Amino acid sequence: MNAPPTLTDPAMLTLTELAAAIRARKLSSVEVTSELLKHIEAWQPKINAFVRIEAEGALELARAADAALARGESKGPLHGVPLAHKDMYYSAGKVAGCGSKVREGWIAPTTSTAIARLEAAGSFRIGALHLAEFAYGPTGHNPYLGHARNPWDTTRITGGSSSGSAAAVAARLVPAALGSDTGGSIRLPAHFCGVTGFKPTYGRVSRANAMPLSFTLDTVGPLARSAEDCALIMQAMAGPDPLDPTTSGAPAWDASTTTRSPKGLKIGVPTSFYVDDLEPDVAAALDATLKTFRELGAEISKVDLPDQTAVAAAALIVLAVEATSAHAPWLRERPDDYGAQVRARLENGLAYSAVEYLEALRWRAPALAAHLAAIGDIDVIVAPASRVVAPSIVETDVGGGSNAEATILGITRFMRPLNFLGVPVLAIPAGHSKAGMPIGLQLIGRPFGDESLIALGRAFQAATDHHQRAPSLP
Amino acid sequence: MPDDINPERVRLIAEAARVPLRPEAPARIARAVSPTAQRFAAEKVTVPFETEPSTFVVVQRKEIER
Repeated sequence: MNAPPTLTDPAMLTLTELAAAIRARKLSSVEVTSELLKHIEAWQPKINAFVRIEAEGALELARAADAALARGESKGPLHGVPLAHKDMYYSAGKVAGCGSKVREGWIAPTTSTAIARLEAAGSFRIGALHLAEFAYGPTGHNPYLGHARNPWDTTRITGGSSSGSAAAVAARLVPAALGSDTGGSIRLPAHFCGVTGFKPTYGRVSRANAMPLSFTLDTVGPLARSAEDCALIMQAMAGPDPLDPTTSGAPAWDASTTTRSPKGLKIGVPTSFYVDDLEPDVAAALDATLKTFRELGAEISKVDLPDQTAVAAAALIVLAVEATSAHAPWLRERPDDYGAQVRARLENGLAYSAVEYLEALRWRAPALAAHLAAIGDIDVIVAPASRVVAPSIVETDVGGGSNAEATILGITRFMRPLNFLGVPVLAIPAGHSKAGMPIGLQLIGRPFGDESLIALGRAFQAATDHHQRAPSLP
Repeated sequence: MPDDINPERVRLIAEAARVPLRPEAPARIARAVSPTAQRFAAEKVTVPFETEPSTFVVVQRKEIER
């Protein structure tokens, strides 16, 4: 295991360590912000993780945070911590471009609940992060902003749509960042970039005043260095919000259960679909992870899940129609302002009738019931995030040849069913390929079993060091 | 749901939605979505008559008591 980072290198500290150091006044918020800005300056030309860097504003907020602490005033557990988020979370009076030409320069009139809660806990923003156009793409390509690049190998994709969030956290430019996950947009970039990503249970975090893609499937969640850091963000953010009725009745975050031992935890390993046609390095990472879970006292068994290809098809239909519905006014008036890939995806949603869309949507309850019946008393399912490590930018781009669309579909295969089922998923770094690219696994929980996933992730990360590895500046 | 989605059907739905498409788009869209439509159709989903989209929340929230 790596030696713990020192306070002289704040960019290498985790969110939890950084917040504690600022709170204890071992580090000032200004020192931390200045150091992160230096890292951003060095990395940004290589990986294009940020769409805006707000250096002066961030330093001003850092000075205010330090002054407050000097007076004995702390806003909360994230006091003085600079963060950056996917550029689709609205902050009143600030630009939220949503990765698009269509919303170029658009000033948000309101603040998203997720951001408001993170700021109420004491964090502030140091800039805004890259994303696929309107969060509708799994690779990190963006013809308008330029593509994001993987910090582990800048010829490869970051994954998307939370491309900048994963790249920035992996390169140690921010300790944590919000992403969003409608069809894998937190988990896939977490896997490709070697960070920890958390897609909460649908309804656990308010989506209010975040850019919508598919209101049935959209979830708000963090990307960070560790499960412990994800828990810190979730604690600040989760819970009911009158502005988002899907959160009504959802339980508050229970931090006391996020440190439970995995001893006796029932873990299931799918017998098919999620384990089919894996690259050897990915299969080896899965085997090694299961061995660690066994050593931690978990009980491992096989589980036969309902056919996931049908669930994925239903998810695709719902996503396609809802995204097209949301974008219909712009598709009518300014279709040429979309990039080729996203315009094509949005046009695909025109193929389905209202009856077909609602048939897929009404099937969501029976599909979840069938899933729960299949897993019985299993607490967590473990599965790879993707069959492969990050492919190259060229082979997944427009004009990337006849295999480009097949490659893109292949990398997202293990994502979409879990959005349709609305279950929580923690993506954790679980190894590296022979070429040095990160490999992530999904810990798939039961509805509202979010805290159990964090607990398992924490135990795994206490026993391994995959999440501590960082890329070097190219 | 039909086993196949053809370009003419796509063209008609786009026209009803008042979304302009380039001439070659209906054929491309039909090719792109047909595998998904065929897979979902093959499932022959039968949803109980009383089920509505929000029934999902009922199934999901039962887990809170677990």
